[in-house]
Amino acid sequence: MKYLPLVWAALRRKPARTLLTCFSIATAFFLFGALQGINVGIAQVSKLTSVSHLVVMSRVNLNAPMPLAHAAQIASIPGVTAVSPFNVLVGTYQRPNNPLIIIGSDFDAMLKVSADLIVTPAQVAAMQRTRSGIIVGVTTAQQYGWKIGDRLPMHSLNTTKTDGSADWVFDIVGTYTLKQPSWATRIFAHYDYINEAITTGKNQSVQFYVGISDPAKSAAIAQAIDDRFANSPDQTSTANEKDFLESTLSQIGNINFLVNGVVAAVMFTLLFLTSNTIAQSVRERTSELAVLKTLGFTDAGVQWLVLVEALLLGLFSAAIGVALASVVLPWLTSGPTLASQGIGAMHVPGLVYAASAGVAVLLALVSGVPPAVRARRLNIVTALSGR
Amino acid sequence: MAAVVSIQNVVKSYTRGKQRVEVLHSLNLEVESGEFLGLMGPSGSGKTTLLNLIGGLDKPDEGQITVAGERLDKLSGSQMAAWRARHVGFVFQFYNLLPVLSAERNVEVPLLLTKLSRAQRKSNVAAALALVGLSDRATHKPTELSGGQQQRVAIARALIADPTLLVCDEPTGDLDRESAEEILQLLTILNQKQGKTIVMVTHDPRAAAYATRLLHMDKGTLARDEPRSAA
Repeated sequence: MKYLPLVWAALRRKPARTLLTCFSIATAFFLFGALQGINVGIAQVSKLTSVSHLVVMSRVNLNAPMPLAHAAQIASIPGVTAVSPFNVLVGTYQRPNNPLIIIGSDFDAMLKVSADLIVTPAQVAAMQRTRSGIIVGVTTAQQYGWKIGDRLPMHSLNTTKTDGSADWVFDIVGTYTLKQPSWATRIFAHYDYINEAITTGKNQSVQFYVGISDPAKSAAIAQAIDDRFANSPDQTSTANEKDFLESTLSQIGNINFLVNGVVAAVMFTLLFLTSNTIAQSVRERTSELAVLKTLGFTDAGVQWLVLVEALLLGLFSAAIGVALASVVLPWLTSGPTLASQGIGAMHVPGLVYAASAGVAVLLALVSGVPPAVRARRLNIVTALSGR
Repeated sequence: MAAVVSIQNVVKSYTRGKQRVEVLHSLNLEVESGEFLGLMGPSGSGKTTLLNLIGGLDKPDEGQITVAGERLDKLSGSQMAAWRARHVGFVFQFYNLLPVLSAERNVEVPLLLTKLSRAQRKSNVAAALALVGLSDRATHKPTELSGGQQQRVAIARALIADPTLLVCDEPTGDLDRESAEEILQLLTILNQKQGKTIVMVTHDPRAAAYATRLLHMDKGTLARDEPRSAA
């Protein structure tokens, strides 16, 4: 500890350079933490999504609406136990910059389709009684401080009502939760309540959620649904939720590979940057290091001072970066778009903190060892004479 | 009086480019405890090389060097570093203070190698700064001090571990006349009142006049040994 002022002095020697290096390392570790968080989040989504129900979408475009009449035809296919339409009402709540997405569904059917939704029977009954009722995920309810009985005004952006207004009022009649409560983020309203009032997209649905009797037959049932509409102008693409998500993600590419590739490239670049900075810093302090040796510091002692300097810079900056990622990532991923898909906020996993510390130490050692060895080998007489 | 420095048949050479240049040729010298030795001579005569050998910054190619009872030519690198910390204080022409540390922090650096507590270090630093008359500049950084004040901080740093020997390489070479006088008077006080043995390289005859013994070097040998009374 008593040598810390010497290390601190070395870092303070060129404050702008130290700050910029710190900023670069922090940015790299922010990316590292955030991307690994997303990576783990996606893996978790894949793990938590179900194969026990199907998602039917338009074959043309994932967001293209299909006729509501599809629901009855899907329901008639053997193995299908329930069908719910799935429409989205996009709008704002209280402020124009506060987006909100409400899902129009047949909530009774949704309960049969998604057995993992946990709602009390009294709240289900209240939902059945209330046309303007909504069931809100506990995470979203907590986020906004909503409670049962509250009235939720919303200004829609993607459609207007038949009376010309875009203002909606919903009544919170219940909340639902999941095995992982942080993922209970959706807001379910009655499909009919929205459908009757809208001017565009009436009697249409962007998705159908389909309950099936046997998850082992999900592929066959999905094929049967798509076959049913093969000659229709509104062809469908059906998959179980897990396959659907994985195929959507695979369209983006191999996420894991991309994330690791980006992180590796950033770290590799950073290695050169940090190595250069520390080497330059040590070169500039050649005579100062020689003075320390003159005063009695051993070669190994001077070498350790340089290494500790690199370690402190690396670890401190990495800690800032990962801390920032742990704050920003949940904030970035708690938006209504992911929430409407039932995906909760992503977090930097605990393992990433340990991995960051490890990577930071490795980075500091790789970039710090060459100048530290140079400092160790420094010849006092040569250094003091400026040769 | 006992010899603090004993040099016998020392040879030292450097390689410059492809050439090997012998800087010191079979040099013999003894410095008694309490002496204030001035080393003079033209550039390239070997003064600084001799000073580096006496201060344990370098090793001879041949011969023996004994300083403060230790055979320096026999010590390893880390033993030499420990020996320097215990027995030698260095004063350089360009002060060589650490620029981002305050005066008191600069003076404290050699004490970091000791087992003294923080409070003891602080108290010793205060005493050393008082000795060189810079108590009121303790928190100033080198850039906030004049050349003379910086050199006094360097002297305080050299004294802080109570070394046997003070090694000064042109301590007044970068100072104006008035500051140079102050530094030389300070060195004289340290020599006369505290009994510090001082070896000082200088080009300046006025500085040399403060020495109690003057050695003239030429082409790697001792040309003239001139005992004198202190100024």
